[in-house]
Amino acid sequence: MNSLNKRLSAEKRFQLYGLFAVALSMFFVLILMWKIFSTGSGAFVRTTIEANVFFNPDFIQVNQNSLEKELYRASYVALADEVVRQNHPKLNEEQFIKVREMYTRKFDYQLRDYLLDNPDKIGQSIIMKITASSDLDQIVKGNYPRDVPEAQRKINDYQLSVLDKLTSEGKVSSVFNFWFFTKGDSRDPESAGIWGAVMGSLYALIICFSFAFPIGLLASVYLEEFVKPGKVTDIIEVNINNLAAVPSIVFGLLGLGMLIGVIGLPYQVPLVGGLVLGFMTLPTIIIASRASLRSVPPSIREGALAVGATKMQTVFHHVIPLSLPGTLTGTIIGMAQALGETAPLLMIGMVAFVMEIPGGPLDPATGLPSQIYLWSESAERGFLEKTSAGIMLLLLFLIIMNTAAVVIRRRLEVKW
Amino acid sequence: MVEQVNSFAIKTKNVSVHYGNKMAIDDVTINFTKNDVTSLIGPSGCGKSTFLRCLNRMNDVIESCKVQGEFLLNGVTDIYGDSIQVETLREKIGMVFQKPNPFPKSIFENVAYGPKIHGLASTQSELNDIVMESLNRAGLYEEVKDRMDDIATGLSGGQQQRLCIARAIAIRPEIILMDEPCSALDPIATARIEELINELKEKYTIIIVTHSMSQASRISQRTAFFHLGKLIEHGDTSKIFTKPDKEQTNDYITGRFG
Repeated sequence: MNSLNKRLSAEKRFQLYGLFAVALSMFFVLILMWKIFSTGSGAFVRTTIEANVFFNPDFIQVNQNSLEKELYRASYVALADEVVRQNHPKLNEEQFIKVREMYTRKFDYQLRDYLLDNPDKIGQSIIMKITASSDLDQIVKGNYPRDVPEAQRKINDYQLSVLDKLTSEGKVSSVFNFWFFTKGDSRDPESAGIWGAVMGSLYALIICFSFAFPIGLLASVYLEEFVKPGKVTDIIEVNINNLAAVPSIVFGLLGLGMLIGVIGLPYQVPLVGGLVLGFMTLPTIIIASRASLRSVPPSIREGALAVGATKMQTVFHHVIPLSLPGTLTGTIIGMAQALGETAPLLMIGMVAFVMEIPGGPLDPATGLPSQIYLWSESAERGFLEKTSAGIMLLLLFLIIMNTAAVVIRRRLEVKW
Repeated sequence: MVEQVNSFAIKTKNVSVHYGNKMAIDDVTINFTKNDVTSLIGPSGCGKSTFLRCLNRMNDVIESCKVQGEFLLNGVTDIYGDSIQVETLREKIGMVFQKPNPFPKSIFENVAYGPKIHGLASTQSELNDIVMESLNRAGLYEEVKDRMDDIATGLSGGQQQRLCIARAIAIRPEIILMDEPCSALDPIATARIEELINELKEKYTIIIVTHSMSQASRISQRTAFFHLGKLIEHGDTSKIFTKPDKEQTNDYITGRFG
C-alpha cells in the first residue's frame, strides 16, 4: 500500500515537471511575440506634417501641357525647399537646414508622385501630409527620449520647439504606413518598404517549387515503385537522408560555385536563389514523397494489377493520387523552411541593397530573411521597428504556408 | 478421367515455386475444368494461395519468388510464355482478394476502370452498360444504383467484396481466382457471396482458396487438398469429403490436424 502511494506520487511529480516544461516554453514564446509585436507595430504607422503646397510651375519647369514623362523627369528638389520656406516663414539659412531635416529626404519624390497622379494640380495650392524624417518620427513615437542632453539627440532643441509648435497647431499626425507594404528598400527608414523583398522571395519560391517538386516526385516514384532495391538504392537512400541534414550554407556554396561560377548565371537574382533553395528542399520532398508512397496499401496496387493495368498505369492512376496529399504537405513544409533560410541567399548575393522592386526572377533582389538581416544591421533607430515588422510578415507567411499544408492534408486525405 | 483436353480452363504440370531458398510449392500437377468451381483447401502455409497467385502471375511482383513448371491456358497458351502479355493474361484471368480492396474512388469508377484501360467500351453509354451489367451480375446493382458516384470505401465489407467481384467480371474474364474472399466477412455477407459464386459458375471458371471446409463442400464441384506445398489429393468434392483416397486428406477434413 505504501509503495503504491509512492508510485502514485511519483506520477504526480512527473506530471508537474511536464507542466512546468510546457509553461516555460509558452512563456518564452510569449516574451518573443510580445517583444516583436511591441517593437514592430510602430512600422505600420508613420508621422506626417501637414503643409501647404503650391505647385509652382517655375520651380519644376513644367506646365499644364507637360507629358507624364516630363513630369516624371523633372526635378522637384527646389519645389520641396520652397514648400518648407513657405510653411515656415522668416527662417535664416541655418534654421532652414534644420527645419528641412525634419521632413523626409524623399520630399521631392512625394511631390512628384502626387503630381503624376493629379497632373491638373499644376499651378494650384493644396494641403498635403508630408512624411516626417525618421528621427522626428521616432521622437513622436516616443522611441527617442526627449529629456536627454541635446548632444545625445538627433533632433536638437530648435527642431523640438518647431515640432511642439506644429503639434499645437494640429499639423502633426500619424497615418497608416502603406509604403512599408508597397516600396522597396531605402537608405531612409521612413520610406523603406518590404515589398521588394517579398517579391524576391516569391520569385525564388516559385522557381524552387517548379524545380524541386517535379524532380522530387519523379525521383521518389522511380526509387519507390520501379527500381529494384539493392546496394545502389541503399546508397542513394542514405545519401538523400544525409543531404536533408546538410547545413544550408553548403547549398549556398554549391549555388555560388556551380550556378554562378560554372554555368554563369547572374549574381543576386531570385532564379539562382530559387534553384539553391530547391537543392535544399529536394531531399525533404523526396523523403516525404517516398514515405507517402509507401503508405499506400499494397492491396490497391494488387487490385489495379489484377484487372490488367500496367505497372505505370497502376502507379499513375492509383498510387500517386493517393500519395499526393502527403507529398504536397512535405513540399509545402520544405518550402516554408526554404522561405526562412538566410545563409544560401547570403552566398549567392541576394543580400544587397536593392531599391527597385524585382519584376522577374532575373532582376536583382533580396529575400525576406536577408532583408530582415540587412535592416537589423542598420544603425538608424527607425530600422529597428522595420526589422521586427519584417519578422512579423515572415512569421505570417510561415503560418499561412503551414496552415495550407494542414488544410491540404485534411481535404485530400482518403479515409479507408 | 473422361474429360477432353479442351475442357480444361487451366492445365498445370510439375509446378514448383521457391521464395529464395524456401520451397513453397513442390511439383504440383493439376488441371481445372471449365465452368466448375474448384476449391483449394489445406492448412495455413500449405501454399494454396501462392499457387493461386501463380495462375495470373501475381507473384511476378515479388522479387524473390521463382516459378517453375508448365501452365497452359485453355490447353494451348503458355501463361509464362512470350505469346501472351501479362496484362492480357490478367484480362482473361480476374482475381478477387482476401480483403476487399476497392479503389478509393466512386463506385462507378471502380467497375469502369478495367474496361477503360482495356478499351472495351467505345462510348460512354457502352461503358455505362458494362458497369450496370457487371454490378447486376455481382448482385450489387439494386443496392448502389442511386449512389454510383459515392466513394466505394464507404460501402459495407460485403458490398465492397461484391464490388470487387463486379470489378473483376467487368473486363469479361474467362476465369476468376478468389483468394479467401469471405474470410473478412460476416456470415450473412458470406452467404450472399456463396450464392453469387453459384450463379457465376454458369459463365466463368472459378478457382477459390478457402479455409472453411463447409464452404468448399457447399460451393465447389472439385476440391484440391494441399499440404506442405504438395498436392495431396484432387477430385470431385463429394468424393473428397466422403471417402478420400489418402489418409492425410481424411485426417484434415475430419479435423484431426491442420
